[in-house]
Amino acid sequence: MNAIPSLTSPSIAAMPSPAPPDAPRGSASFKDFLLSSIEEVNAMQQAADRAVEQLAVGGDVNPAEVLTAVQKADIAFRMMMQIRNKIVQAYQEVQNIRI
Amino acid sequence: MFPSLDISTSALVAHRVRMNVISQNLANASTTRNEAGELAPYQKRHVALQTDESVGGRGAAGVRVAEVEIDDSPPRYKWDPTNPDAIQQGPRQGYVAYPNIDMITEFTDALAVARAYEANLGAIEIAKDLAQQTLRILA
Amino acid sequence: MLPGLFQSTTIPILEQVVQFSQARHTVLAGNLANLHTPGYQARDLSVEEFQTRLQRAIEARHQPSSAASPGDFAASWTDMAAEAAENPKSILFHDQSENAVELQVTEMVKNQLQHNLALAILGSQFRLLQTAISERV
Repeated sequence: MNAIPSLTSPSIAAMPSPAPPDAPRGSASFKDFLLSSIEEVNAMQQAADRAVEQLAVGGDVNPAEVLTAVQKADIAFRMMMQIRNKIVQAYQEVQNIRI
Repeated sequence: MFPSLDISTSALVAHRVRMNVISQNLANASTTRNEAGELAPYQKRHVALQTDESVGGRGAAGVRVAEVEIDDSPPRYKWDPTNPDAIQQGPRQGYVAYPNIDMITEFTDALAVARAYEANLGAIEIAKDLAQQTLRILA
Repeated sequence: MLPGLFQSTTIPILEQVVQFSQARHTVLAGNLANLHTPGYQARDLSVEEFQTRLQRAIEARHQPSSAASPGDFAASWTDMAAEAAENPKSILFHDQSENAVELQVTEMVKNQLQHNLALAILGSQFRLLQTAISERV
């Protein structure tokens, strides 16, 4: 019996949590979280764009760093996209609830 | 963007010059006259290499040929009074002055140059491979 | 609106880099072909000149007041002629030419690497736009 909690709790603690720890507090904090993450993704894209421009112009930048920045921005964008898809899907499900 | 390529290329160019000089020494191993046709035995040429900070940068430097020096060691004398190039007067009358070039040394140097050339080519291959593999970050 | 879709991305910049590398490859291949031609002067497209012009075009694009059209980028470097390249670290042959094959091949390899790099980033940018449009991650 003691082994089971020790198995589950490290995995929960180790998982990165995109959801805020106090989600049921209200929709305002989720909206803020969503807007701030969109801004972060945009900032990463801008940073990747600047890095690519530096590379094209022959600046003092490592090609591996530029490619990593581009890929990170890519993945962040796709993650955002997936979150947006799930939100839209959830909204459509809620809409389909027949009263 | 890829300074390692420039560094290895500078080494290739420098070693090609060395190879040319070694070939020149071997070709002129029995030359008793200089370009003007005067009686002056060929003096062995020697290539001096120098670190070149202008190639590469950030702690890594390339190589360049500092100069092609003319060796001033005395020639090798061979007794041959019937040779028209023999010295006519002086204490070495009847001797012909030949260049002081040892073929074994030159051949060994040529082998060393060939290995160095290969090594730098290998470094270029690896540098190219690094750059190609970097593209896999995006794939 | 549709051509302007790409204005805010790095796609036009990368297109210019790719086209420049292809043009430069042609010049360098000509150098290799003429390696043993007596009196031949090795030519090159100046990379620094291209990068300076690209930098200026990028800065012009960042100005919010400019109505930059896609044609502005294209005109930035196409008038660059293949001028004679200086060879600072070479030993001249008797006909004043220095066509060390290693130098030419290395320039070609560097050009190829830059071309492939720009092309790979260009591909990933297009895929990202397609993800945004199709909404399928």
